[in-house]
Amino acid sequence: MTRAARPGAAATRPGFVWALPAAVFFLMFALTPLLLVVVLSFTSWDGIGEPRFNGLDNWTALLHDPVMIQSVWTTLLLTALGVVTQTPVSILLGVWAAGHQRNRAVLSAVYFVPLLLSATAVSVVWRAVLDPNFGVPAQLTWLFGDGNLLGSKGGAIGVLTFVGVWQFTPLHALIYQGGARAIPQVLYQAAAVDGAGRVRQFLHVTLPQLRNTIITSVILMVVGGLTTFDTVLILTQGGPGTDTTVTAYYMYQKAFKGFDFGVGSAIALVLVVVATLISLAVVRLSGYDRMRGTAEGL
Amino acid sequence: MRSKAAAITAVTALVLGTSAACGSGDSSSGAGDGTIHVLVYGDAANKVEKQLVDTFNKTSKVKAVLDTIPGADYQQKLQTVINTPRAPDVFFNWGGGSIQPFVKAGLLLPLDDFIAKDPGLKDNFLPSVFNSAVVDGKPYGVPMRGTQPVLLFHNKQVLADAGLTPPKTWDDLVAATRTLKARGVTPIALGGGDQWPTLMWLEYLYDRIAGPGLFQRALGGDREAWASEDSRRALTTLKQLVDAGAFGSNYDSVKFTDGGSPALVAKGKAAFELMGSWYYSTQQDANPDFAKSGLGYTGFPALNGGKGDPADVVGNTNNFYSVLKRTKHPEAAAAFLELMYSDEFVKAQLAIGNLPTTTSTVNFLDLSASPGYSKDQYELVKAAPSFQLSWDQAYPPSAMTPMHTAVQQFFDGRLDTDGFIKAMQALPTS
Repeated sequence: MTRAARPGAAATRPGFVWALPAAVFFLMFALTPLLLVVVLSFTSWDGIGEPRFNGLDNWTALLHDPVMIQSVWTTLLLTALGVVTQTPVSILLGVWAAGHQRNRAVLSAVYFVPLLLSATAVSVVWRAVLDPNFGVPAQLTWLFGDGNLLGSKGGAIGVLTFVGVWQFTPLHALIYQGGARAIPQVLYQAAAVDGAGRVRQFLHVTLPQLRNTIITSVILMVVGGLTTFDTVLILTQGGPGTDTTVTAYYMYQKAFKGFDFGVGSAIALVLVVVATLISLAVVRLSGYDRMRGTAEGL
Repeated sequence: MRSKAAAITAVTALVLGTSAACGSGDSSSGAGDGTIHVLVYGDAANKVEKQLVDTFNKTSKVKAVLDTIPGADYQQKLQTVINTPRAPDVFFNWGGGSIQPFVKAGLLLPLDDFIAKDPGLKDNFLPSVFNSAVVDGKPYGVPMRGTQPVLLFHNKQVLADAGLTPPKTWDDLVAATRTLKARGVTPIALGGGDQWPTLMWLEYLYDRIAGPGLFQRALGGDREAWASEDSRRALTTLKQLVDAGAFGSNYDSVKFTDGGSPALVAKGKAAFELMGSWYYSTQQDANPDFAKSGLGYTGFPALNGGKGDPADVVGNTNNFYSVLKRTKHPEAAAAFLELMYSDEFVKAQLAIGNLPTTTSTVNFLDLSASPGYSKDQYELVKAAPSFQLSWDQAYPPSAMTPMHTAVQQFFDGRLDTDGFIKAMQALPTS
């Protein structure tokens, strides 16, 4: 386990001072704002005067705010839908793209294009494509009916999930591509000798070997899903009504449209805590924290 | 040891440098040393503001500096800067609810003294417009761009094909929607995805049925106003129109801002659209041929038995310049505001398609890019006994989101009359 100590290693080891710039910036731009948000969540502040402490008012208001409670559920629902839809698609694409054939390289390069587009641009394009009178739904009335996709809860959540798949699958496919390429060929050769076909190789070699990759990718999806904001801002503005008002968007509405920075900060904290807890849970439940290598015994 | 000391010094310098960079902004753009800062919403109209600042600087000892903030970020930036040493001396706003929090915080200068010295600062503007920047009985703003009343636009061809004329009364409108629906045309285009276009229908119906007083009472804190008989009547009347399918069924997936609803009207798929006067230039940009010959407009129809004057209008009365109390050069600010009724201002605004609201505007209407349209609008606003500022601008900013949500849910049938009344009663009024 322990590495053999090289002579003189202690002398050349960099001092703590070299970590100072990073630490200072982390303090200034991550920890300090976070602490300020904690303080602000106990105040009433519209950005004009001085923040005024109001004890637990913001928190009790949030607890009794039906929109807040609904927004947490909506966020969790969208996150779960994101993981469930994006994972299979990106594993299949990533594993497929891991092959070294030339056509695969070209196609996967094309497929990664959405990764280069900003979320805002993606949302604006999809909004135009889904316009009920001039977009795709107007041509496919047998499928979309009157095309009121963004006017119903199910439709709006469906659209957000679909755009999420389109937008984020390339990133995760890229991660899986890397993971799949790292699987030693010997394992496939051994499986082939044992008579395993393509499907069995995939199920019994590829998937288990991708275990850590899957966990990484799911954590990224969960954290991304919990902080979904730009697609909601442009596609639905939280509507219809408050049906797609996710927590991050609700925070924006409270803080930057209603200028209630106290409540906005409290919502932000809820988001931080929930995201941290879920990420921790995923890490613990999956055993990722113990970091077992998948190449053991090779 | 020496290297460690050097590293610490370097890091310290880095940190100090960063904070110094943050700090240096304050001193350079503060409102000191013979300048006044004018903060304006950044868009195409800025060239007129620039021109007036240049004119002002030609004669004034105190120089004006124009600062612009790109539109979408304006309100946020203003809110964060207004109570700091970097606050502007004079700033752009929408009157009403948009400045109410600043008035309450004691940041704004009431313009009474300016007006006492130069009554023209009040008398040279149309009263219905000037009044929307009056808060708690004191004037806080001078109109500085164009007025944008909400009009009922229509596609002339679609109406003619159906044998219809533009509606003069609500009954005409209801009858027209039936005829149009039978012909397979969506009677009224609505960008429900933006939420605020939906609100315009409520603003007009409340005015026509209850008169402008009801909303003023509600805004003043009288929550019972929303539960009154007239309020219920306005809601039922509108609901009947929605339920009759006048807006089609997919309006919540359509937006005005991405060109969805204007295209419906321009392409003849819908007949009417209720929208602010900027609609004309929207259509001019997107569908120039239609704007030239096919686009018609009227005021909102009269409603039989309603208490509101059919000449009342709603919309954005104008934008305003307000002055901060802490300005070091109030005389210069007053002199700058006086330019807002100058001939130069009126001409320059008309040239970029805005309709200024000075009493002198009438003399220059021929200079407008579309004189007929400008004249009609000007007459409409001038003759209006009441010009109600859009509800979402009249209420303080914190009311905007819940108001939009309630309006959308009412149209969708997710809130009934009682639910909507409750939602409106829950809005913060000050």
